[in-house]
Amino acid sequence: MDRRTFLKIAGVGGLSFAASCTSQPAKTLYTLVQAPDDMVTGKATWYASTCRECPAGCGILAKNREARIVKVEGNPLHPINQGRLCMRGQAALQGVYNPDRIKTPLLKEAGKYRSITYAEAEALLYARIKAAAKKGKGRVRIVTETVGESLLNLMGESLDNWGSGEPLVFEPYAYEALKEANSQVFGFEGLPSYQLDKADFLLSFGADFVETWLSPVEYARKFKEMHGLKGSDKALFFHVSPYQSITGANADLWFSCVPDSEYAIALGLLRESVRHGKNRSLPENIQAAIEEISAPYTSEKVSALSGLSPELFHKLYVHLHTAQRPLILGTPTGASGAFSLQTNMAANLLNLVFDPTLSLIDFNNRHRVELAARRSEVLRFFKEVSNGAIDLLLLNNVNPAYALPRGSGARTAIIRDDLFVVSFSNFMDETSELADLILPVRLPLETWDEYGGKVGMVSTMQPTMGSLSGAPNLGDLLLRTGLGPQRPYKNFQAYLFTQLSLNGTIKDKKDWLQLLQTGGLFDLESRKRTPELTLSSKFKSIFTNPPVPKKAELVLLTVPSIRFFDGRGANKPWLCEVPDTLTQVAWQTPILLHPETLAKRGLKQGDIVQVESRWGRLEAPAYESPSVHSTVAVMAIGQGHTAYGRYAEGQGLNPVALLPPELEPSSGAPFFTAGPIALKNTGRSIKLAHTDGSRVQHERKIALSVSLKNLPYTEPHEKHRLGMWEYPLVLPLPEAYDRETRDIYPPHDHQDYRWAMVVDLDKCIGCSACAAACYAENNLGVVGEQRVVEGREMAWLQIQRYEDPERRERLTFLPMLCQHCDNAPCESVCPVFAPHHSKEGINNQIYNRCIGTRFCSQDCPYKVRRFNWYVWQWPEPLNLQLNPEVTVRTKGVMEKCSFCIQRIKDAHNRAKNEGRKILDGEIQPACVQTCPTGVFTFGNLMDEQSEVRKKVADNRAYQVMGYLNTKPAVIYLKKVVQEI
Amino acid sequence: MQDRFNSENGFLTTLKRNRWPLILTFLSTLGIILFLYFFYGYATDIGPEQPIPFSHRVHAGVKNIQCQFCHPYVGRSKFPGIPPVEKCLYCHNYIIKKFPWIQKEHEYYNTKTPTPWVKVNYIPEFVFFNHQRHIKKKLACEECHGQVKTMDRLKENRFLMGFCVDCHRQKKANLGCWLACHN
Repeated sequence: MDRRTFLKIAGVGGLSFAASCTSQPAKTLYTLVQAPDDMVTGKATWYASTCRECPAGCGILAKNREARIVKVEGNPLHPINQGRLCMRGQAALQGVYNPDRIKTPLLKEAGKYRSITYAEAEALLYARIKAAAKKGKGRVRIVTETVGESLLNLMGESLDNWGSGEPLVFEPYAYEALKEANSQVFGFEGLPSYQLDKADFLLSFGADFVETWLSPVEYARKFKEMHGLKGSDKALFFHVSPYQSITGANADLWFSCVPDSEYAIALGLLRESVRHGKNRSLPENIQAAIEEISAPYTSEKVSALSGLSPELFHKLYVHLHTAQRPLILGTPTGASGAFSLQTNMAANLLNLVFDPTLSLIDFNNRHRVELAARRSEVLRFFKEVSNGAIDLLLLNNVNPAYALPRGSGARTAIIRDDLFVVSFSNFMDETSELADLILPVRLPLETWDEYGGKVGMVSTMQPTMGSLSGAPNLGDLLLRTGLGPQRPYKNFQAYLFTQLSLNGTIKDKKDWLQLLQTGGLFDLESRKRTPELTLSSKFKSIFTNPPVPKKAELVLLTVPSIRFFDGRGANKPWLCEVPDTLTQVAWQTPILLHPETLAKRGLKQGDIVQVESRWGRLEAPAYESPSVHSTVAVMAIGQGHTAYGRYAEGQGLNPVALLPPELEPSSGAPFFTAGPIALKNTGRSIKLAHTDGSRVQHERKIALSVSLKNLPYTEPHEKHRLGMWEYPLVLPLPEAYDRETRDIYPPHDHQDYRWAMVVDLDKCIGCSACAAACYAENNLGVVGEQRVVEGREMAWLQIQRYEDPERRERLTFLPMLCQHCDNAPCESVCPVFAPHHSKEGINNQIYNRCIGTRFCSQDCPYKVRRFNWYVWQWPEPLNLQLNPEVTVRTKGVMEKCSFCIQRIKDAHNRAKNEGRKILDGEIQPACVQTCPTGVFTFGNLMDEQSEVRKKVADNRAYQVMGYLNTKPAVIYLKKVVQEI
Repeated sequence: MQDRFNSENGFLTTLKRNRWPLILTFLSTLGIILFLYFFYGYATDIGPEQPIPFSHRVHAGVKNIQCQFCHPYVGRSKFPGIPPVEKCLYCHNYIIKKFPWIQKEHEYYNTKTPTPWVKVNYIPEFVFFNHQRHIKKKLACEECHGQVKTMDRLKENRFLMGFCVDCHRQKKANLGCWLACHN
């Protein structure tokens, strides 16, 4: 056959192939059998519930579309989070729809799991309980995560009936040192909440309150209420710690200190305050005690211990001294070392000295996580189990086999042959793997329950959707097995009702319904607690005989991550995919090392180093970070699972393997530090899955800041020159076009609305909640580690962080999203007009028109356009989470931020139905909605009265690379920094 | 002259040499034509077979039941909704109860099985059509869905963009890509 003939045939063959492609598979429309009252197809129903991704207990609203939840948002009525949510809360959905969720109970027989029915599993559980209870007292035990009062009571009642004691509440982060310090100084062991918003000076000895500490969403909000710009004034926040967490990166000054020296700085400050007579209003015995314990810590000694220069220390004290309402916070959630107790006690004393009434510490609204057992109790418990003290162990959503260091005894205790272990987990995690029976129960979003994040608060949970697996509710299961057939309650819902009636929360059915609708009752008469300043007998000895720290060249700090918390987030693809803000690394767990440390050892970023401590070793990729002290290495806890599903297993590293199993004796707290550690170059290196192109801005006018001093003199926008730094702020409105000097093309006609967003960099804390919310709302593909390395991540919004080239540890965070330019470079290069300027100013990307030339991405100066290189997968049932309002894009199509056009359309629809214009603030894109600190404002620029219009008049307003005359509709407000 | 046909490079020789490819081409062209004729001219003419031979002609035409009775959300939501099984039985518990197809519907209800209706109206997945807006603008159902009252089985209907845009132009309705349909 010659070439011509081949081409002819190929042509016809191609045609026939194309012609046969027109038919589509017939689709089926299934009807309901009976229509529920509150379901209208195409309309969402919102159910109020409580987030259970960490013990903070934020209120949530779950959006239910056609019987499945597609989005979770904060409940505006809830006092803890006031409508906002962190990224872990957003990702709760991926727990419900996780493809690795266990669907039926599994019974272990000869080392292998066999699937059994729920009825069989329950019968087996009941039989086991009865057998164990018959053997004597205390043969059945429950280890649980922090649960609500009602469920805890039910566990207690059940255990009572089984002849056993109280359930053990296990949290990997139980704040032992803080609790012990409160008990030593304030006379009671609890976790009061802090009124950050009322302070004017905040000093933290590492407390990472915007990430994981106690109640991060609440504290992030309160922090920015305090730290935000008020007129021309701004409060101060200092962070003393050997490493800069995200919280530390938000400080006005980070005092980098040697690990385990925070206590010395705190005591040094106490000594200074005594010298200046700040403690005079306190009772004399306390005055004397403070004097005595702080006396040795002169400025020189502090300096020698901590590496902080005397000048810096002096500065720190001066600011503390002159503050009106200072608040001092203790040590972080993890990463606490040998002196955690001393640091927390000194912090408490400092609060006492500077504010004898302790007005900023709320002893009534205490955090519920205070009821978690100390690590010492947990280890004692597992020791008892190892000794054969019990026959049946029930585990509720805890993962000690992952969270406890090797040698803690948990693993050996659980795998005992004569112990029958039942795990109520939905996932095959490290602990479930060891269980004899896995009996999955409903997840919090599918269940009836109640959880008050603080004492004196009831926050309800109700099923926001039907159960996917038919699993029972844990409460119902306990009722049936614990209270027996003669139980007075029909089900757990009835039990809840009775419990809440008993404590006076509700009176009748009507109250109950109202309670469910609001999401809880938040101002209960709580048991009032007032601090008693009785110094314990141990008080002085804690300070006078502090353990001597071993001198170590390099100490490892392991920190809980904002993304994975204690590791429970690691199986949720969004949390793995959204990079850590500080390193911009996704999916992997690098070890953060100071540039000096790297240079000394001839290492560079990406080199794999072997990290070895006395207790274990692992190999981790090095990451160069100027935000850690030169004597520490930092790793995040949360990844490196050996089980726990496809997204977690074998992904990243678990630094817990390097931690000592011993405890700090005075508080019973675990060590989250390991030292000394040895680093060895393996000679291998990997490409880090980082999403940043560069750490600095190359003076390109991207993330700008202004000092508070210069704020009143910041140049107004009226300059009309074309240079990079003289270019005026050009609003994306017709009146801002200047055909004389800058513009060739005529302005766009906008009709009624010109949508725009103001992003206040001064408020951005870099928590990435917005990025996760965007993944949830807009069906963004999760690409995985390898594709992130290739630079093919799909994030429409990402938090960029830029280092100050002069002082590298100073970071600026910048949420970067499509700028919806009025003069969009992407629009003019597309050969098929796929990017298109709408009459309301939004840059539309028409997916079905796009042919994938990628010219637009090439032309976009902000690099916010994302190309679908593959057909991204949502393994079932993850696909059930997809937002039905948004197209799922396929291979070969460009996509980018749409300002949540589906929400804009929704608002249009509402407004048209009611015959009005869209109100200011009515539209909240997903990022705007979830931001804990209110960084974003969205609205109509054409409305002179709108919030965005008012904000763009701010002196701080600028446009990222505005000198390109793109006229972005995303207008940033410069970050305000303070020179100390 | 003869050479042009029979010589080594002549027409007939070439034809002969490429006999099989040519036959193949011919057959596949014929196949396509037959397929297209069958597909567009014959098979889709009466609409797909449904699990229950529900007649829109009888219900909407003869009995004159309003569209909204069975598709109640059309004025309040994007989707009109299709009736749940129980709704059919509101009437058919009394009317022709023993009719075999109604018996089948009863069976669906008693066994809690959703009725697997075959979809007849198609819009692409990247189009978000909002029924409510069109109903509020007092558009009659027939303007897009045709004379449903006269059809027993509904014909398959693939809505194409031209159909929408023509009307939007005529009525001066929203023509914004995202604002109107796509996102």
